[in-house]
Amino acid sequence: MSSQIVTDARSALIELRDVAKIYRKGREEVRALDGIGLAVAEKGMVAIVGPSGSGKSSLLHIIGAMDRPTRGEVIVAGEPLNARPEAGLTSFRRKTVGFVFQSFNLIPNLSALENVMLPMEFDGVAGDERRRRANRLLDRVGLAARLGHRPRELSGGEQQRVAIARALANNPPLILADEPTGNLDSRTGQMIYELLKEIAGERTVLVVTHAEGLAQMADRILHLKDGKLVADDPSQGLKKQPVDRPGTTGSA
Amino acid sequence: MNMLRFGVRNLFRNVPRLVVAALLIAFPFFLLLVMHAIGGAVERQTDKLKHNVDNALQLRARGSMGHVNMLGNDDILPQRVLNQVQGIEHVARVEPYLLAMTPTEGHNFAMIVGVNPGDTKRLESHGEAGNPKIIAGRDLTEADRGQRVAIIGQGFAKWAGITPGNLGQATLTLDLTRTHPVIFALTRPPATVKIVGIYASGYVFGDMQLFMPLDTFREIYDVPDGLSWLFATADAADHVPQVERQLRTLLGEAVDIVAPTSVAEFQRSATRAVVRLSNGGIVLAAALLVIVVFFVMLLAVRERAWEIGTFKALGASGGGIVTAFLAEAVALCGVGAMLGALLFSLWGGTLAQRVFGVGVAPFLPAQYRDALAGVLSLSSDLDPAAWGLLATVCLLAALAGSAWAARQIVRLSPMEAVRHE
Repeated sequence: MSSQIVTDARSALIELRDVAKIYRKGREEVRALDGIGLAVAEKGMVAIVGPSGSGKSSLLHIIGAMDRPTRGEVIVAGEPLNARPEAGLTSFRRKTVGFVFQSFNLIPNLSALENVMLPMEFDGVAGDERRRRANRLLDRVGLAARLGHRPRELSGGEQQRVAIARALANNPPLILADEPTGNLDSRTGQMIYELLKEIAGERTVLVVTHAEGLAQMADRILHLKDGKLVADDPSQGLKKQPVDRPGTTGSA
Repeated sequence: MNMLRFGVRNLFRNVPRLVVAALLIAFPFFLLLVMHAIGGAVERQTDKLKHNVDNALQLRARGSMGHVNMLGNDDILPQRVLNQVQGIEHVARVEPYLLAMTPTEGHNFAMIVGVNPGDTKRLESHGEAGNPKIIAGRDLTEADRGQRVAIIGQGFAKWAGITPGNLGQATLTLDLTRTHPVIFALTRPPATVKIVGIYASGYVFGDMQLFMPLDTFREIYDVPDGLSWLFATADAADHVPQVERQLRTLLGEAVDIVAPTSVAEFQRSATRAVVRLSNGGIVLAAALLVIVVFFVMLLAVRERAWEIGTFKALGASGGGIVTAFLAEAVALCGVGAMLGALLFSLWGGTLAQRVFGVGVAPFLPAQYRDALAGVLSLSSDLDPAAWGLLATVCLLAALAGSAWAARQIVRLSPMEAVRHE
């Protein structure tokens, strides 16, 4: 059974049609996603909320081509992902998507600058250009003075800002952030969201979060429950309200 | 930063672990160098032996023995044999001889030998012995070809009344009607030769011999072709059996061949046994290396699965990530190789001597065991071949040991980036 909620598919950056993701645990079948239909426009911030196990992260991973759906069609930036071979998905991730992880996933023995240069290295950007662009991005996230620092020498918020700069390295049209404030205190989390919100002015940012307060900063909120898209709230604008402590479950 | 540099940098992420892994890798490299040193020492020793052993094969007319195949006997080698033997592979030198006798007193006689100046002065009945020492005057030279000159043994000189003082003026007249006391005779006029040198062989019959140029011999005895002996020297002791086989095939029934097979046997048994054992040790050490690298790299992949997933999520190709890990493995092996080389230069020679005594010598034929162990010069010097071996094994072990880890890397999903969260 489909639970399609499609909004403005004509100018969509992301389009999902009847997407399902089914895991098997022995004889048991777990439907992480069940008939998701969705269109997300270019630019703007979209929050994906829902209780644990509702399929938020699975949806993000499928949109980001880190995982393949069991069924359905996924089209991002006009490219159908289903038929792409693994090498094609790698190229897609490199050029079209920037990932921001909950645990930052910075490479520990590389400096902040080197971490940001990494996706450009994978994309074959020349050395000088890599360095110039990485410098600019770290400056943008307020870390111009921390270029040579290794991740362990940076605070959690700084690490996540490096991760956001890294996600922007190849100038992708889509940023996917999976619980980006999950390991941060609320004040730092607020700053990260504000940074993501700023970035959403120039590209599409999809954020998975448990923090209802932070979700309210998004232009659009998608509510998932049991693998189904159950609500699609329109923009509520940026609210300067007390923020929920990250990690708590917001209501749909 | 490219992936090669990143791979090499990864090596230094955990220095204590690097030290342990490098030591584990250094041990097989050390063992490998020890085995290489043993193999090299044995080969050097064999090369030395090759220059000091008799690689010469003696050819005589079929059925003739020793001094019987001399002039006056129909069973001498046909001249064509000389050309045939010269064309055989691995024959480094061919020395032709003609033999005759001349009576001295009663039934005693002296041996007359025609030899090319510069060739070995071989002593009849002791053909394996040669080049007796000139004690007065000079040896035969190229200028003596066709000249009626000769050198004689000190016994023959004493019988003929020739002393070092009258060399150069002294002559000896040979009676050619009696080339053997009882068997052979020629109808040739006597021939007089000038004696230019006296030699000593340390052997009473060897000192009763006269050497003249082969061309002179042919003229005096009127022997335009034919040979008494032909000595064919193989270019190496280990080629003696091959040369012998070719000679037998080529010359068929016409020739008796006396080959120093014991030398070849030594070459085959002792050298090959040691070289095989040392090569076996090298393979064993390399296998040990592969195992160590396998576990180290597998551990690295397991520990860094989330990093690999992150790389993939960021758009790195599997090939690029594998390149980084291979670079790390090669660098790790390189550090281990350097450490192994250092250990070898400190203790390699001593250990090689012990390993040879304990591990190799028991496998050798009994007669060579102690002798070979005693003369081997086992050193801890690293020659270019040793460095080449280190580099090759380093690269191969790194690649082979990382193959499984590389397979794991290729199979890892970018989802590994989030699984560790």
